[in-house]
Amino acid sequence: MTDIEEEVDFEVDPEDLDGAPVMEVDSERLSLLVNDLHVSYRVFGAKKVGHGPARDWGLLGRLVRRGAKQPPIREVKAVRGITFAAKHGEAIGIIGVNGSGKSTLLRAIAGLIPPVSGTVHVAGNPALLGVNAVLMKNLSGARNIMIGALALGLSRKEVRSRFDEIVDFAEIGEFVNLPMKSYSSGMGARLRFAISASAVPDILMIDEALATGDAGFRAKSKAKMDEIRESAGTVFLVSHSLATIQAMCTRVLWIHEGKLVMDGEPKEVCGTYKKFVADRKKHAQSQK
Amino acid sequence: MTVDESGPSAPPAPPAPPAPLERIYDEGSVKRAVLDNDLEQIGVRPRLTTYFREMWRYRPLVQVMAVSKAEAENQNTYLGQVWSLVSPTINALVYVLIFGFLLKIGREGIENTIAFIVVGVFMFRFFERSVMAGAHSLQKNMNLVRSVQFPRAVLPTAGVLAELTMLLPALVVMCVISYLSGFLPVAGKVTIDWYWLLLFPAVLLMWVFSTGCAFISARLVAQTPDVDNLLPHVMRILMYASGVIFSVDRFVSQFSWGFLMEYQPVAIYLYLVRSSLLNEPAYPPDAFMWLLGVLWALLFSVLGFLFFWAGEERYGRD
Repeated sequence: MTDIEEEVDFEVDPEDLDGAPVMEVDSERLSLLVNDLHVSYRVFGAKKVGHGPARDWGLLGRLVRRGAKQPPIREVKAVRGITFAAKHGEAIGIIGVNGSGKSTLLRAIAGLIPPVSGTVHVAGNPALLGVNAVLMKNLSGARNIMIGALALGLSRKEVRSRFDEIVDFAEIGEFVNLPMKSYSSGMGARLRFAISASAVPDILMIDEALATGDAGFRAKSKAKMDEIRESAGTVFLVSHSLATIQAMCTRVLWIHEGKLVMDGEPKEVCGTYKKFVADRKKHAQSQK
Repeated sequence: MTVDESGPSAPPAPPAPPAPLERIYDEGSVKRAVLDNDLEQIGVRPRLTTYFREMWRYRPLVQVMAVSKAEAENQNTYLGQVWSLVSPTINALVYVLIFGFLLKIGREGIENTIAFIVVGVFMFRFFERSVMAGAHSLQKNMNLVRSVQFPRAVLPTAGVLAELTMLLPALVVMCVISYLSGFLPVAGKVTIDWYWLLLFPAVLLMWVFSTGCAFISARLVAQTPDVDNLLPHVMRILMYASGVIFSVDRFVSQFSWGFLMEYQPVAIYLYLVRSSLLNEPAYPPDAFMWLLGVLWALLFSVLGFLFFWAGEERYGRD
């Protein structure tokens, strides 16, 4: 625990650490301010939350129980009180085990999911780039570039002038006129990255997109991220690759079960996280 | 990490991460920081004027999405776009056969049954497809909704515009069938005159009205997906209540509430299109009907837009 206290010491008064300390915002060159953010979403058709299969009630039991005890809609609390501030020019990595709420946090910061409580303030226009953000599968790459870039707020003229740049960056060549469903997953991911980066957003959020590219593309995307940071933007990167995070980020947030558990230097946070994951693995093996 | 070694039977507790950083910013300092750094709150509904301005700024996106959707519609078939002409034609022919010639319901008070039914079916199909396009617009574009922030009203608007794009070639087919049917001995003549030009404002009004309805269906389905299962039935009722395949005023004029059926928006738009295209004595061009057409279009588009905007911050949450 001691290292963590040291880590957050510049923001939290030590005597405030018990309970939920209220603190002042360090208000210099902020690009993003997240205060006590809670996000939940509705899931339809969920019968049970937790691990393992739901209990089988048999045909009659299912009929009788239909709608009786378990509501068909569940509220999943994905983010449960996260507070942090980001500055211009920072590259922030977000790590955490599967289902810890990383992607939901990004979506909330991008304004795509409204918070249940708490606030998000941003400077400029955030753009989220996710692996799953397949634009439109039936449409050609060219159409997707048009739609994606226009949706990001570019004008028609800007899209036309950057079209070739986007195609080159994505390295999709003549595939640009084929429907996106004919693309390999790498091509799709590259195209999405190229589209998202084309608008030079103030805040770029990347959701595990870099893992899909080859080494050459990773280098290019790193360069693009640096470019955005240099133009005073902020980059968020969600990845399971600690190497990627350490190579690209200046600060790391560790999210666990919807809460922020560590916030600090990449090396330190990644080290603690690595140890935690290794312990968990050992634990899981000893259970068998 | 914490491993419980109290006994051989008790399983060791799973390793825990560090305790969560419980911290909250002081509200006053948040306000100050927001002012200092010129930040904007997100995840909240934009003001109506801002929203409308944004929507106007995004009209190139509406156009591109509409054209793309219209193009992609029949992409996976051999005949491709021809289907957007063939399928309403077949649809209309089925109704003509059943209602016009077998049941003879459509013939009461109508001189040219074929043209009457064809116009009704083509135009109603446009309305129905527009409402359904609106209903599915958020769900179908969830990927886009979950990755980029833009006024969500773009989606239903683009969906209906795509239907309009597909309607235009179908309108030509509709006019040709109507005109040709006039040469059949059983049917009244259809003449081409300047009245035909009124077809364009009539379709335009119907498009504005349908966009309003699409806004409403979009929000309803986004909030309560179950509505999606009811919509086809609502559409079916509307179809029989609007005189798509038979002249509805023939049947309802005997009731005191008959005017409700006659002046409801869908019936009005069918009236307008028919009065422009056909030479039916029962459907003369009527200024009052045009006025109602304009009023309904304005009312539904404004109310629909407001209704959709009121749910803006919640789209994409599920």
